[in-house]
Formats: sequence, structure tokens, C-alpha cells
Amino acid sequence: MYGTGLLKGLSVTLRHMIGTFVTDVRKFPRRYFRDGVHPTRSPEPYLHGAFSIQYPEEKVPMWPRFRGPLVHLRDPETGQPRCTACGMCERACPHGCIKVEGEGKGKERKPTLYQYNVGRCIFCRQCVESCPFNAIELSRFYELACYDKDTIWDLPRLLELGDKEEIKEQGQFWGET
Amino acid sequence: MENVWTIENVWNAIGMALQNWLAGFLPAWLVTLIMDLLVIVVLLAIGIVAVLILSFLERKVAARAGDRYGPNRWGPYGVLQPFADAIKMLIKEDIVPHVADRFSFNLAPVIVTVGAVMTYAVLPFGRNMVAANLNIGILYFAAVGSLSIIGLLTAGWGSRNKYALISAFRSVAQLITYEVPLALCIICVVMLAGSLSTQDIVLAQQERGWFFLLMPGIFILYFLAASAEMIRCPFDLLEADSEIVAGHFIEYSGMKFALFFLAEYIHLFAGSAMMVTLFFGGWLGPWLPSWLWFLIKTFVVIFVFMWIRNTFPRIRIDQVLKIGWKVMVPAGLVGLAITGFVDKLIADTLIAGVVLFVCNIALIVGVSYFMGRAQRQKEMAAEGAALR
Repeated sequence: MYGTGLLKGLSVTLRHMIGTFVTDVRKFPRRYFRDGVHPTRSPEPYLHGAFSIQYPEEKVPMWPRFRGPLVHLRDPETGQPRCTACGMCERACPHGCIKVEGEGKGKERKPTLYQYNVGRCIFCRQCVESCPFNAIELSRFYELACYDKDTIWDLPRLLELGDKEEIKEQGQFWGET
Repeated sequence: MENVWTIENVWNAIGMALQNWLAGFLPAWLVTLIMDLLVIVVLLAIGIVAVLILSFLERKVAARAGDRYGPNRWGPYGVLQPFADAIKMLIKEDIVPHVADRFSFNLAPVIVTVGAVMTYAVLPFGRNMVAANLNIGILYFAAVGSLSIIGLLTAGWGSRNKYALISAFRSVAQLITYEVPLALCIICVVMLAGSLSTQDIVLAQQERGWFFLLMPGIFILYFLAASAEMIRCPFDLLEADSEIVAGHFIEYSGMKFALFFLAEYIHLFAGSAMMVTLFFGGWLGPWLPSWLWFLIKTFVVIFVFMWIRNTFPRIRIDQVLKIGWKVMVPAGLVGLAITGFVDKLIADTLIAGVVLFVCNIALIVGVSYFMGRAQRQKEMAAEGAALR
């Protein structure tokens, strides 16, 4: 019969409308103000539920090889930074956004100054590839908006970010350790 | 008049108490004047509150239909969002294009809004709750409802903008086209009810059953014509944002834009309320007070309009006019003939209702059959042309 397609279309939107409420009821006490990382969804065939992610409270998990800003790693035994200020990353960086100064000889050599300009970084991972001591890695952190142009991050901040992102080993999320 | 305090007529009782209190120390003509002005203020307030609720509902329903949540930041479930929108509208800059015809540009929103608000005068919000129980209520509604065409045309002309003018042309073509089937459907209802007064139509449905059950075919015609009159999707050609940006209010900003917005939603509420009055038994219903029944039914109809808006794509202007003149006007005339014959020839109410129902189903099937046949013929002709 001519015109029944209209009813079919109406049923589709109604089903989706009801579907969002069904998923709301399922996770009843906390509807959408969930904290932290959003769980990955397996799509159900008919009752999808709402797909919106309430951003500041819910966040999408980044995929394993996401390339965010640089972080420094710690030696698991001593808790000190693994960096020996050899300057390989500084040389490898195509944009010159890394600046390293160090003091001491051999194994005692430690960085006195490590500046990483995240505003200039293109997240190419050349520095990580070139590092001979597995001391740095790219994080999966992506909220880089800031109020001023002071985008140079120093060593304590890079270490802190590495702790926060729970990166233990170089290539931890890359499947190459 | 007696003053009875029940939930059923609490609003009437409040009005009566106020009138009695005023009559204690004021002359009679002043009391009448104050009471009439008060009714106007209340109707305006109902209009604005309805707009606040509807604009929120519209966004929520659209979001839910599209698997989203909609506004949910301000207030629980985002219920304060309309106030944020209203404040934004009020403090926005009011821009008048310097090539615009200032007089008609500024006049248009006023005409549109006033025309929309005036329709509230004859809506029966409950038993004995109609601002003006005119004996030509439906006629007044149809007349005042089409007053907004002038406002739209003025807006389109005054803006001196191509898109606005195209929208104004369309408003005249579309709204005048759909006046005809709308009036035909209203005549069917009026024939059965035997009165043009909105209160009497509701009372007639108490005796004969809801007209929606008696005349489903006429109801569908009325529904389509009303959604075209209210500029709702899929007939919202006047503000087709994908082709003519925003239509007649493209050059408006700030409070004048808000007035157009207001008029649109007031029209939606008034049109749905009138549909409830004509076909769904108005304020009739068991247990609950009559005004609550009226509001519940109205909001159900409004939800259906929003549901349709979020389901169907917009149709082209030539298709709109084609359906209007080639399908809906003939179908409306046939429906009018059916209703007239049945009403005149069959005296018994029950048998007349059954016959009317059967005839209406036949009307729906017939229209569907002929539209399908026309479509098939068109497809076959196209195939033939492709083969040649």
C-alpha cells in the first residue's frame, strides 16, 4: 500500500527514541556524569542508546599508538629519571623543540636542564626512536589547550606526566617491547 | 454566580473571587475592563510558558530521536536551558540592514506574534474555560491563524534579501493552498457538531464519540494541512535551512528573531490544541480535571508533530503544491460529500458513526491506491523513456 513506508520510518525514530531511555534505565543511578575514561561500546543491533560522550566527565580512551606529548620515564629501581642527557633526542628532533644540558661523566651524567617545547612539537616520535636508554616515550595525553604561549615543559613536569599516564617502558603500548 | 472551589474549576473560582473582590470598591465598567485585560495577560503568559516548554521539548525529542541526550548542563536534565536561550536572545544586538524597508521590517514580527497569540482566545482550555466563547469560534481561528501570512510577507519584503523574499513567496503559495483542505476538514467537523463554537464541538463529541474515531480519513487530511499551516516539517518550506538559509527571518536578530520564534511555537501549541478540540474530544476525559486532560492531549499531539519532524525529510515546493491541489483538495471534497450525505440521510447516531468510519477507511485506501498508481505510471513512463 502506498504510504506505508512513512509508518515504517516513524517506527525507526520511535525505536531509537525509546532505546536511549532503555539504556538510561539500565545504568540508572548515574546516567551520564560518569568520571574518567568512557568504556568502549559494543553496538547492539536495535537498541543503541545515546552515543554522546559527556566530554569533561567522560573521555574517550586513546588508541595504543596515539602520539601525544613527550614524557620522561623513571628507573623502576631508583625512581630517578633514566635520561643521561646524551643529546640524541635533541639532535634527532626535526623542529628543534628539545634542549638538553647535563653534567657528570659516564653513568653519573644527569640532565640539569631539559626543555621540551610542546607548542612546536609535531609528534613524529623521532626522539623516542633515537633514545639509546629507553628514557622517553610519547604519552596518550591530549588536552593541550592553554591560556598563554608558554608551552615549554621542563623535566619535573615531563616526569609527572609520565607517572600520571602510567607509562613504565618505552613502546609499552606499541607492541614492540 | 456561584463560586465553587474544586480542582475542576479552580481557575474559574479564582477569577470569580477576584471579580467579586474588585466589585466591592470599583465601578462595574472598570471591573469588566480589568478582568478582560487580566484574561489577555493570562493568555499571553500561557503562550510564553508554552514556548519555553516547547523549545526545550523540541530539542530533547530531536536529540533522543538522533541517539543523543540534548541540553543537559543547566539545571537537572537541562530544564533551565530555555531561560538561557531567552537571556541570550534578549541581550543580543538588534541589527537592521541599512537597505531594509525599516517600517515593514520592524512591523513584521509584531504582526506574526499578535496573529499567533490571538488564536488563543477561542481555545477551550477546559469546561467553561474559554476566553471568548464566540459562536463563530472555528471561523475566527481559521481567519486569525492565516493573519500571519501577511506578517511573513512583510518580513520577506522588508528584509530586502533574496532568501527572505523566496520564503515570502512560498508562504503565500503554501499557506493559501493548505487553507482550502483545512477549511474543508473543519466543515466536516462543523457539520457533525452542528455548531461553529469550540465549546459546542467538544460537547458534541461527548454525545457522538471522538471525531477522530468517526472520521480517521478527514483527521489525516486535517493533520497534514495543519502541519503545513503551522510550517512544521515536512512542510517547513518557508524556513528550509538547506536551501534558503533561514527563510523570512534570515535578517532578524535579537528580540525580533525571538518574536518569530515565539510565533512559531505559539502556532504549534494553538494548532495542536485546536486539533485536540476538533478530533480528540477537547477537555473530555474521566477522573482527571478537564483542563489537565486538555493539556495532556495537546502535548501528545505536539509530541507527534516533533516525532514527524525528526523522521521525514523536507519535500520540494512543487511537490508541496502538487499534493495540496491534486490530492488533498479532491480528497477533502470527497470527504465533505461523504460526511454531508451520511449526516443527512442516517438519523441514528451509532449507525451514522459506523458508516462514516467505513467510508473514511475507504477514502484512505482509495487515496493511497490512486497515489500509488500515479507513482507506478510515472516510473513506467521513466523506464520507457530510458529504453527509447
